[in-house]
Amino acid sequence: MAIPVEMPKMSDTMEEGVLAAWLKEEGDTISAGDVVAQVETDKATMDLEVYDDGVLLKRVIEEGDSIPIGGLIAILGKAGEDVSAILASYSGGSAPVAPAEAPAPAAVEESAPVVPQSAPVAPAPVVAPAPAPIVEGRIKASPLARKLAKDKGIDLALLQGSGPEGRIVKRDIEAALVSASAPAPQAAPQVQAPAPQVAAQAASMVPAASGDSYESVRISQMRKTIAKRLAESKFTNPHFYLTIDVDMGNAVDFRSRLNEKAAAKELGKVSFNDLVTKACALSLRQHPWVNASWMEAEGEIRLHHDVHVAIAVAVDEGLITPVVKHADRKGLAQIGAETKDLATKGRNKELTPEDWSGSTFTTSNLGMFGIEEFTAIINPPNACILAIGAIRDTPVVDNGAVVPGKRMKVTLSCDHRVVDGATGSAFLGSVRGYLEDPVTMLL
Amino acid sequence: MAILQYREALRAAMTEEMERDERVFLMGEEVAEYNGAYKVSEGMLEKFGPKRIIDTPISENGFCGLGVGAAMNGLRPIIEFMTFNFSFVAIDQIINNAAKIRYMSGGQFKVPIVFRGANGAAGQLAATHNTSTESIYSTVPGLKVITPSNPDDAKGLLKSAIRDDNPVLFMESEVMFGMKGEVSDAEDYIIPIGKARIAREGTDVTIVAHSKSYWIAMKVAERLEYEGYSAEVIDPRTIRPLDIDTIVESIKKTNRCVIIDESNPFASISSEMTYQIQERAFDHLDAPIVRITAKDVPAPYAKNLIEYYMPQEEDAYQACKRVMYVQ
Repeated sequence: MAIPVEMPKMSDTMEEGVLAAWLKEEGDTISAGDVVAQVETDKATMDLEVYDDGVLLKRVIEEGDSIPIGGLIAILGKAGEDVSAILASYSGGSAPVAPAEAPAPAAVEESAPVVPQSAPVAPAPVVAPAPAPIVEGRIKASPLARKLAKDKGIDLALLQGSGPEGRIVKRDIEAALVSASAPAPQAAPQVQAPAPQVAAQAASMVPAASGDSYESVRISQMRKTIAKRLAESKFTNPHFYLTIDVDMGNAVDFRSRLNEKAAAKELGKVSFNDLVTKACALSLRQHPWVNASWMEAEGEIRLHHDVHVAIAVAVDEGLITPVVKHADRKGLAQIGAETKDLATKGRNKELTPEDWSGSTFTTSNLGMFGIEEFTAIINPPNACILAIGAIRDTPVVDNGAVVPGKRMKVTLSCDHRVVDGATGSAFLGSVRGYLEDPVTMLL
Repeated sequence: MAILQYREALRAAMTEEMERDERVFLMGEEVAEYNGAYKVSEGMLEKFGPKRIIDTPISENGFCGLGVGAAMNGLRPIIEFMTFNFSFVAIDQIINNAAKIRYMSGGQFKVPIVFRGANGAAGQLAATHNTSTESIYSTVPGLKVITPSNPDDAKGLLKSAIRDDNPVLFMESEVMFGMKGEVSDAEDYIIPIGKARIAREGTDVTIVAHSKSYWIAMKVAERLEYEGYSAEVIDPRTIRPLDIDTIVESIKKTNRCVIIDESNPFASISSEMTYQIQERAFDHLDAPIVRITAKDVPAPYAKNLIEYYMPQEEDAYQACKRVMYVQ
């Protein structure tokens, strides 16, 4: 089966990438981890690695072409394989597009929570003040919002309502007050008279007389939720970190054997991340104190009977953490397929609350970016999160001799209110055990 | 605190008032020999004798008129309706005589009478035995309407009703007669008419609910609390005079209101409350007021239909989410 290679998201602000240089020719045999091209993003030029073995069947775009994230760059597969189906499925998206269309933020954003939650996100305010009136004609606002706006000198015409049919409600005024007090170009409350407004618009066209210029980016719902929940987690949960180095030699062999069998059965491939998910799920079963939550309001620690592993997925505006439910009871092929499906849904904004709620543990993988190790912020109400680094080729000492080895560092962030050092270490030992001898995961 | 059934609390209130004031007497169908259709007056015939605990024929119009006349002449009757559905037979005595004589006589006659009994739906009793009459009677100037949701309020408010010099309609419920609850054992326990009770304090939404609906409100508040939202529950206890001040103060805090009302919706108590709230708290409302009522049809007989006819907990819960804009 031919495999598409897509433009990855290489930085938070990246929307499209320019193919700076091809490093492989069509017909070349490629191994997973090979760098096939260099991609220039808004930040830097970065190596484009592939995650699969095969022959480079087609270079879909030319050097200098720019395509959005998720656009088709190349196709891998067996020599001589037909690539027309893949080309057709990407038609439009794959073609080099000069004016890459970034998904425009919808006029009224749904307040879609980003991360799994058992506690509700408080009514999330929608930031507003745009320079020009948003609503033509009659403005819909709750009586309370009208009164607050009048008292605080806010022009309702400049706000976007978050209520039904764009109704401006209390939280919209509160949000406007917050952003008005921030040191933004529109620091002062909006004046109703038209003249100053025109002046303000004109002023925004020329760089400010003093100080550096900058672009003001509207804070999306997703970024707000990320900001709120992660700040809350980091400042409330006493985090500590445990890092362990895992010998991935066996896992690499195991995975390639597994994927041969999977290919024969026309199943999707199993990724290293799927192996880690499974290893974590089985270990969580053995270490209930890691599969736990600190429930402040209830005055209890909750040891979950089910194992639901959330996986952090980067999307346009930030990240989401869809959940593989009952991961301990699922096979690797199923975990792989579900993860892929959830990630796709996430990127297409098709996830439902069902998909992102109920996690008992979370993993975050930056290995594909070459990150050797990092620490992640716990995703409440989980007690722990595992940060997965890249698999490195590294010299190791084996029986007194220096030999080539494959190593991967994983770092567990623990909420010390629930998990102590020994508990977290025992859990990591268990994860390492499974990954170093992956056959044991099948027991 | 003693634990009493709702019916025992009513009996205690009547007994205490009859011991305190010999002008008080109880009259109605089956109240004496049979000890009350719902055993509210059990033992009272033995205690007070047949001159003060009086069985009547099935003739509501007759014995209500008799009660109004007795009240005009200085006695303080308690008239029991087996259910308020039967009060419609005597509606002229209640609305034209009891409610208006004090006004029409220029205050020369007082009418200190209590009409009490079961009100509202009580399961598969069909259309003519399931009416919530509080909305109907509270439109009439001159009548007071009380709808206690629990034994403690039942006792404290019935004692106040008996001492009031105006006609009071005191509405109970078949399904609550057996309900147990703590009742103050303070000597001469009186709850003033016209004071709402804040049953539960909250900050995000105000739920107003009386009588049986109050218990739906408390369940909804618990569900919301589990999700991190804080609901304030207000039991008005007295429908007329209505303690609108307490409701308005609450809405000034929460900015949102859901009313649960077992009445049929058209021109109901919830309609009236909604009007009064917008009149006094317009600038404090962040969402339209939502009410959950019985359906706008005669009460059906079939089990599934009468259950559907009644205000639904789920609807009230969803309404709270809607006014908080969190759906």
